[in-house]
Amino acid sequence: MSITRLFQCGLAALLLSVATLPAVAQSFRVQCPFSTITHPLVSPLTGTPYTDANGNTINNDYEPPYVGPTTFATVPVTKDANGKMVGGYVVPSGNINGAIKCQQIAGGDGFATMADGTQVYLFSFGPLSDLAKMVAGQDGTDFPNVFNQVYTGPPLQPGDPATTDEAAGTSPIGPNPAFTYNGAVGLVPDNSGTVVDPATGQTVNCALPGSATNPLCLTGHVDPRQIEDVGVMDGNMPAPLFALDEDDEYFLTLSNTGMIMRPDLFEQHTVHFHGYPNASSFYDGVPEASIAINIGGSFTYYYIAPDAGTYMWHCHITPPEHLQMGMVGQVYVRPRQNRVPLGTDLYTSLGWQEADPRTACKTNAAATDDATAASRDILCTNPLPAGVGGNSGDDGVTQVMDAHTSPERPYRYAYNDGDGSTKYDVAYPINIHGFDPNFHFIAMTFNAEPFVDMKDKYFLLNGRGYPDTVKPGPMKTQSPDGRTHYSQLLPTIINIPAGGRALLRISDLDVYEYQTLASLGIPMTVVGWSAKLLRDEAGHNRSYKTNSITIGGGESLDLILDASDSGKYPPGSTYFLYTPNLDHLSNDEENFGGLMTEVHICPTTINPTTRTCT
Amino acid sequence: MQHSKAIFRTGHLLPVGALLVAALVAALVAVSARAAQPAYINQPDGAQIYSWGYGCATGSTPTFAPQVVANGSPGLVDSSTGSLINSNCSTMQVPGPTLIVTEGQTVTVTLTNDLPNAAGNTSIVFSGFKVTASGGVPGLLAQEAAHGATVTYTFVADQPGTRTYYSGTQSDLQVEMGLYGVVIVLPNNVPAVCDAGLHHSNQQVAQHWKEPDFRLAHAAYDSPKTCYDREYMFQFAELDPDIHSQVLAQVNANPNCHPGNAGCSLDIATEPYHPAYFLINGRSMPDLMDGNYGDQYPHQPYNANPHIHPGEQALIRVVGQGHWQHPLHEHGNHVRVLARDGNLMLAEAAPGVADRYDLAGRVVFTTTNTPGQTLDGIFYWTGRGLNWDPYGHNPNSTDANGNPPCYPDANGYNTGYAATDTTYTGTPDHPEVWNNINYYEWCQDHDKPLEAAPVGDVASGGPATLPDPNILTNGAWFSGSPYLGPDATLRATGPNSVFLPSNTQANPADERGFAFIWHSHNERELTTNNIFPGGMFMMLLVDSREFVIDESK
Repeated sequence: MSITRLFQCGLAALLLSVATLPAVAQSFRVQCPFSTITHPLVSPLTGTPYTDANGNTINNDYEPPYVGPTTFATVPVTKDANGKMVGGYVVPSGNINGAIKCQQIAGGDGFATMADGTQVYLFSFGPLSDLAKMVAGQDGTDFPNVFNQVYTGPPLQPGDPATTDEAAGTSPIGPNPAFTYNGAVGLVPDNSGTVVDPATGQTVNCALPGSATNPLCLTGHVDPRQIEDVGVMDGNMPAPLFALDEDDEYFLTLSNTGMIMRPDLFEQHTVHFHGYPNASSFYDGVPEASIAINIGGSFTYYYIAPDAGTYMWHCHITPPEHLQMGMVGQVYVRPRQNRVPLGTDLYTSLGWQEADPRTACKTNAAATDDATAASRDILCTNPLPAGVGGNSGDDGVTQVMDAHTSPERPYRYAYNDGDGSTKYDVAYPINIHGFDPNFHFIAMTFNAEPFVDMKDKYFLLNGRGYPDTVKPGPMKTQSPDGRTHYSQLLPTIINIPAGGRALLRISDLDVYEYQTLASLGIPMTVVGWSAKLLRDEAGHNRSYKTNSITIGGGESLDLILDASDSGKYPPGSTYFLYTPNLDHLSNDEENFGGLMTEVHICPTTINPTTRTCT
Repeated sequence: MQHSKAIFRTGHLLPVGALLVAALVAALVAVSARAAQPAYINQPDGAQIYSWGYGCATGSTPTFAPQVVANGSPGLVDSSTGSLINSNCSTMQVPGPTLIVTEGQTVTVTLTNDLPNAAGNTSIVFSGFKVTASGGVPGLLAQEAAHGATVTYTFVADQPGTRTYYSGTQSDLQVEMGLYGVVIVLPNNVPAVCDAGLHHSNQQVAQHWKEPDFRLAHAAYDSPKTCYDREYMFQFAELDPDIHSQVLAQVNANPNCHPGNAGCSLDIATEPYHPAYFLINGRSMPDLMDGNYGDQYPHQPYNANPHIHPGEQALIRVVGQGHWQHPLHEHGNHVRVLARDGNLMLAEAAPGVADRYDLAGRVVFTTTNTPGQTLDGIFYWTGRGLNWDPYGHNPNSTDANGNPPCYPDANGYNTGYAATDTTYTGTPDHPEVWNNINYYEWCQDHDKPLEAAPVGDVASGGPATLPDPNILTNGAWFSGSPYLGPDATLRATGPNSVFLPSNTQANPADERGFAFIWHSHNERELTTNNIFPGGMFMMLLVDSREFVIDESK
């Protein structure tokens, strides 16, 4: 690795004359406030709690219904505790939308098991919050009341949750899994002192029993042992799944736990939120343009959830290496339209978004003159749907319950479409990737990695090649620490309720070549690309039907498998998603496998959370 | 800093329909009497790679003004000789000279084959144009020039847009060797709205900061949706050094052979294709950040170093010139695709309206470029929706730049226009903001704090707690604070700063802004012959408004 390593480590100092600071402080921390100026518990304007459209007090631990755009008022300028003038900015004065979401991940290394049985070395991210949910196949993004739970059970074990599950003989997708903790690993009350309760003015001693449930004592202080115990060698392929709702405030903490297999490396890691519109370079995760997190440190990224759609995230340190090695994941954002109350006209609800400039498109009909055309936001893709033949685009579609789901829930949508064109019953995140086993082997040694000679030989859907793609539950890999770790959490079994529609959120972070995925059977309706609704500026639907999609690294798309014609796609039938790049239907030397999975039509309904037929 | 656009800048210097004569030479190695420079291109690992490229023939100088980069700005001067560097594209270059013409003009290109004997014939294909040829000898795709001979191509630039030209003879070898370039056709009818409303105010702001205008035109097409405030072009190609060394070896082995003789032709294995260099505009990172026409790159005059200001609509021309597709990922924001191969994509018109005004191209964060194909798109950056003030404004500040007003226009930005003026056609309410460094600020986040604790001049109360800087490593383009621009960073540092002591600004003085990497997301292409960083990797700088962008650098 000599030349490559020297160059990348010395890049800052040699080439670009950077101010590199010595890493002397060990400082794991997490951040997950219960409230912020954007999601306050009490109105800073009136001093009273906010309530949502149902009369419930807003507490940032659930998504309030979307009944209109957030309205704003300016906070008066006052002096803060330090004697500085603060305020002058706007805060919500009505219709608080979204909530606070938090997540913690580890950056380090690990191993994954390929479909031919080979264990492949990873540079990788792993979950450090929502562990029980993640190993059951869900995303790892959660509300403050879940994230800020202090763990109270027997000490967390290296390899957890797999270690605890194994000892108890339970499975995370079984009826009673032994490991159930979903809070932030390491979170403990800051017992080093006292805090003053701003509401009562009373002093709280956080060293006393009971402080673990006192929000005032949960300042983000952590016990680093737990983070290292769970975070070391807990690499996941793909990296943990992030899921946001539009208008959420998102606190993502990356804790760099180090790479145990490579003690010669002092690799930093970052998170690049790929596709985040109007990003700040500070939180963009590019080490050259911002900051990178050293081993033993935590950094909390702060975002407002961007427009709905499918995005990606990955480490941006030496990307040809860290991405090939597995530091790749998906992040998706669900639209406001999911949150409108039952009976709401979808076209009307899309119109509400025009009143908040942050959510507005300002493109409500085809332009008819130069000045109107030139003044529109050129990057907006969800104007109100155009009517046909001069009619209004309001087709009268309202939010209703989805009879294909059990337990039943309202319909979900890929985008704020205003016409229901992107509705679905169940959604599947699918991350496409490829591994070059030779590169991964060399990366475990001290030799220079070959970029020119890179050649992927494992072709992966959510980190697995067929037939592992259709194995339910998380896959485990035993690592050189002697522990078994859940290494590949997500199967890619596409279950569709009878007569229903499945949304496939497809992202590709392959570093080597373009990939094609074809549907044998149910046509694909591509409704979104690059986290943007396929709709032109005049409001015309630009979605299209196809039986294959081709995407390259850094591209994403949303497509719907529409099995609503039960005569054509009867319950019990099985179809396939596979790659017509036939040499990619392989697991290294096994010449059948690779980029392929199965699509099943359920007998009746589907559980949209577990994605299993009911 | 100047981008790769302006070598043949003839378009608006000539009346419409003028006969434009471009003489291109397929250049050669040292044996030639006519263009006696060795044709090697430089790569950041120190490699000098034998290549072929187009250049301008002797005598074509008076027809063109390539030394005029744009708007009367002079090109670069060689400090040792005082003469303009490569001002007449007098030597071969990779990519070839960009032919910039205006819609309706008739273009004539005379190609002289100065490739080595062994290379045989050569030709040019102009994709998307109806070409007639005179002279030369018949070829498969185009009329060809034999060694030392010429062929003349004529076409009418009948449609605006970006299109490729490249060798149509033994293309798998000759394009690989560097025989490719771009034709830009400027629109004949730039809509008046491109100099009104927001585009007018952007121009006024640029004038206030004494910033030169480097645009070729004010619209990419004859459409109000294609107005732009700044432009850049990026040509992507790979390079397999084994092919180039094989060619050099065989050329050197047959210095005196005559074309057509037995054994006097190149026998090169172009497959399996195994590139080790990944080029944008003929250069790799970090060379592509050096200036245009830098004397260290005599045959690679075009850089790839885009800079914009908040709110500017940047036209990007993304061109595939090699063998492979490359997914160009633009950090910072999405790109609206205007056109493919010079074909503007418009939506169906409104009922009863004759003209089409709305765009139908996709909005993407990754623009795949395909060999031979071009993409025109619009990119901008404003910071909208961050939920914190990226300028670090603070009502407490005593610095006028730290406490300026923000008047939201119809889209929520501080452009001086009234919020009720949805088409930006009225008289601005607050034209004085055109002189402020927060011009085009997103007003909904004005004064909104990021950090929980106060830092320097920046207020407390925000959502984020920044960590001990000792657990972080700073990047070369990191200013030292989360905020945009030197002014904000200087205000945001102080005794309590987590990153920097008082009045310190970390990033280089000529690169002040938010830096966003624009790169191939086939990430292994971010390498130069196995070394990271390199390859198809450039940095977009969103420069704060007070920083003057000089593209001629």
